[in-house]
Amino acid sequence: MKKIHYQTIAVILAFCLSIGAAFFFGYRASSMARQMRRQNEPIRAWMSVPFVAHAHHTDPTILFQAIHVPVNPHDRRPIREIAREEHVPPADLIRDLQSALDKAAKK
Amino acid sequence: MGEQVLAALAHYGLPALFAIVVIAAIGIPLPVTLLLIVTGSLAEQGVMNLGVAIGVSSAGSVLGDQIGYAIGRWGGDALQARFIRLLGSPERLRRIDDKAKAWGGAGVFFSRWLVTPLGPWINLASGAAKYSWIRFTVWDVLGETLGCALYIALGMVFSDKVQAVGAILGDLSWALVAVIAAAALGWKLFMPRQEPASDSPSR
Repeated sequence: MKKIHYQTIAVILAFCLSIGAAFFFGYRASSMARQMRRQNEPIRAWMSVPFVAHAHHTDPTILFQAIHVPVNPHDRRPIREIAREEHVPPADLIRDLQSALDKAAKK
Repeated sequence: MGEQVLAALAHYGLPALFAIVVIAAIGIPLPVTLLLIVTGSLAEQGVMNLGVAIGVSSAGSVLGDQIGYAIGRWGGDALQARFIRLLGSPERLRRIDDKAKAWGGAGVFFSRWLVTPLGPWINLASGAAKYSWIRFTVWDVLGETLGCALYIALGMVFSDKVQAVGAILGDLSWALVAVIAAAALGWKLFMPRQEPASDSPSR
């Protein structure tokens, strides 16, 4: 009898948790969908420079120049790879790319 | 881990895509939804061919699913014992066995593209329950092809918003899993329990 009682409580708790999780993930998805139009994609270290240019509707030449890398639209190296080869932290390259994007957006 | 996976895709293209989806389909948690959306974006940018990308990702996913199914089916007594321990009792495995046979096709199909977090579990459970391999494969190929085409197409449409779309789809998928869990638990709580028929005479 006691076992059934504990089992019922566990099922009720799991039921409440599931409903809570459904609301949590549903709300997060809907708020992200609302923000999607207004926000630009954040730059990540896995992205290549042409990928960043595409995501921000910018000419990749500006971005290659900003990080002092030879302009090559077919350069598919991720930013982290470029950073490793240039012996700089990826965060520095991301910062330079972001400021180049900000400058391009102001023009 | 997620960053490395996406960097590998951006750098190495299709071979990386194939390897990653195989590993993910076996059950290693990797951001496959985002990976497929990024693949769609790369196809939109002309880096990859759309048809080849869908074919490679579907083939990789099916291969990984087959490995998961084979582990469940032929993984041996030790693996089955571990699975039973995870479920709680052999009786539960028998019940999953019955459900896999009743819901098998739909379960396999929808877990390929709609409730993707359940996919690797369904593979193992289908194998352990000895669900028909041919039926599993047919539903698996259909589901994976639809799923890969759907996510890659979304990546093409929203090629400049891949991270946002990936996050939204990930959340929606988990919300759906939670709704299904709530429905199953609600059924258990609120529906009257049927007592099993007993052959023994009452005392």
